[in-house]
Amino acid sequence: MMQLHAAASPDLAALHAAATAAGLTVSSSACWPQTDADREVTPVAGFIESTFSPLVAEVAGRALSGRDRVQQPGTVIGIVLVTALGDVTSAIRVATAVDAGQRVLPLLFFQSVPNAVAGYLAARWHLTGPVACVSGTSAGLAAAALLIADADADEVLLVRADLAVTGGGDRAAAILVTGQAGRE
Amino acid sequence: MAEGLAVDSPPAARRGARSVVLTGTAVLSAYGRGTGALLSGLRAGQHAFAPVRRFDVSARRVSCAATMPGSPDLRAEVTRAVRDACDEAALPPAERARTALFLAIHADPDIARAPASEQPALGPGAFAAGIAASCGLAQQGIRSYTSACVAASTAIADAAAAIARGQANRVVVAGGYLVDSDQFALFDAGRVLADDGQVRPFSAGRRGLLLGDGVGAVVVESGESARARRAPELALIAGWGRAGDAYHPVKPHPDGYGMARAVTAALQRAGIGAADIGYINAHGSGTGHSDPAETNALRLALGDAAGSVPVSSTKSLHGQTLEASGVVELIVTVLAGSTGMLPVNAGYLGADDSCRLNLVLGSAQAATAEFAMSLNAAFGGANTALIVGLS
Repeated sequence: MMQLHAAASPDLAALHAAATAAGLTVSSSACWPQTDADREVTPVAGFIESTFSPLVAEVAGRALSGRDRVQQPGTVIGIVLVTALGDVTSAIRVATAVDAGQRVLPLLFFQSVPNAVAGYLAARWHLTGPVACVSGTSAGLAAAALLIADADADEVLLVRADLAVTGGGDRAAAILVTGQAGRE
Repeated sequence: MAEGLAVDSPPAARRGARSVVLTGTAVLSAYGRGTGALLSGLRAGQHAFAPVRRFDVSARRVSCAATMPGSPDLRAEVTRAVRDACDEAALPPAERARTALFLAIHADPDIARAPASEQPALGPGAFAAGIAASCGLAQQGIRSYTSACVAASTAIADAAAAIARGQANRVVVAGGYLVDSDQFALFDAGRVLADDGQVRPFSAGRRGLLLGDGVGAVVVESGESARARRAPELALIAGWGRAGDAYHPVKPHPDGYGMARAVTAALQRAGIGAADIGYINAHGSGTGHSDPAETNALRLALGDAAGSVPVSSTKSLHGQTLEASGVVELIVTVLAGSTGMLPVNAGYLGADDSCRLNLVLGSAQAATAEFAMSLNAAFGGANTALIVGLS
């Protein structure tokens, strides 16, 4: 997977800068779209109807596979998922079915909260740290910094994902962060 | 399992040096508004489940939930709870204006039916900012947590961690969920609702969960700050822990891997041993997978004490309050400890060998608990443990 430079995406550059300001060091990162080839995100088995969870899985996978070192046994990595509105596409699907008096597709239940795709990532990449979902980048970074400072996690994978409803098309970015050397 | 824990256990949980206390609480449940109504319901031990009248459930497999009468408004009820908690904490306006809000919420209930152009203003962040403004809280540092059934407990743990390290003097943590047609339809479609109209945690014959109305708010504050302004100290937030299962998108690790680590971290931060816990308010969803996993977690983390410490899941009384669970059940735990009344684990039909715990059965029991623990788990393998000190 191509290593991404922060400047390749304004969202990612801003995330890098915010992470540094929060006292964190970014060891790997990725975004969507990353190149012009990023037009349709790869589906994830078990997640339907919406690009939200596949988007999260894609950028997280890119950031994790782009690491320049192998994950050491015993390393505890937490997940902080940041999203302004969450999977609003799925929420609309549910509301539409309810208003029409139809049954809701059972798989929509399992993806009805952002935790589900975080759990997918945790299982796929053996991320055993805490899982948290918040709505703002600064809150996510502050939570991540405290998890590392308090030894709840050695590293944190922070993913920011927003669907097109918030403007500008589906977009996501992921950073893997550690504490800064010399700081607890 | 034990090998996995040995490989992946983090170093001993750290924390800041400052003590953390609760100085105000407020709650709404199917028993009504206020801690008095909730305490009465817990004491009586009668579950609050009944056929849903709030919306049409005729097309659903299950028709019961624990709801207040009518259709209360989520924004109004969260606002009321936050104000009431701040009032109990005797917080003057100037102090409220310096206090951040951490809000656990799924979303603005209107977002899925709003025009696309209006949706950006209906996210959980905007919802939290509106509540903070209405309640005279700070307009900086607002957070909204959307981590499902650990949203509020995660927010409380984060608030406690920040206060212990001196990053904040005080945070108001609130959470809210009122039973609605969309979540009800989702849970019904997922076939996790109990079709016998009752939640039976850790029991043979359990058939699932039922949703419940829940809104809660707590004022989390440094002990130093509380003492300086002579505020009531309702309980000590002695320890907190959160950890993941790394097992499945929605199923808990069957060995209780993540929850055991969350409990261990909470005990380490509290500086106490398993035998010091006098009561556990369990996650206890009443579903087939989750209750044995939680039992295994308690055995793993507490050792022999897991067989003797009294345990109940009050979801069997007030239902599953989703994003509000962590704050509603923390308030239940504080009420239990402070009144010497351990709530019953209702709906029990008989022993399940995979859920061997010292359950509070039959009726509420009188007991003292210097320390009590509240557990929560969620989709994503997310687990939290909060320990309160009640002396």
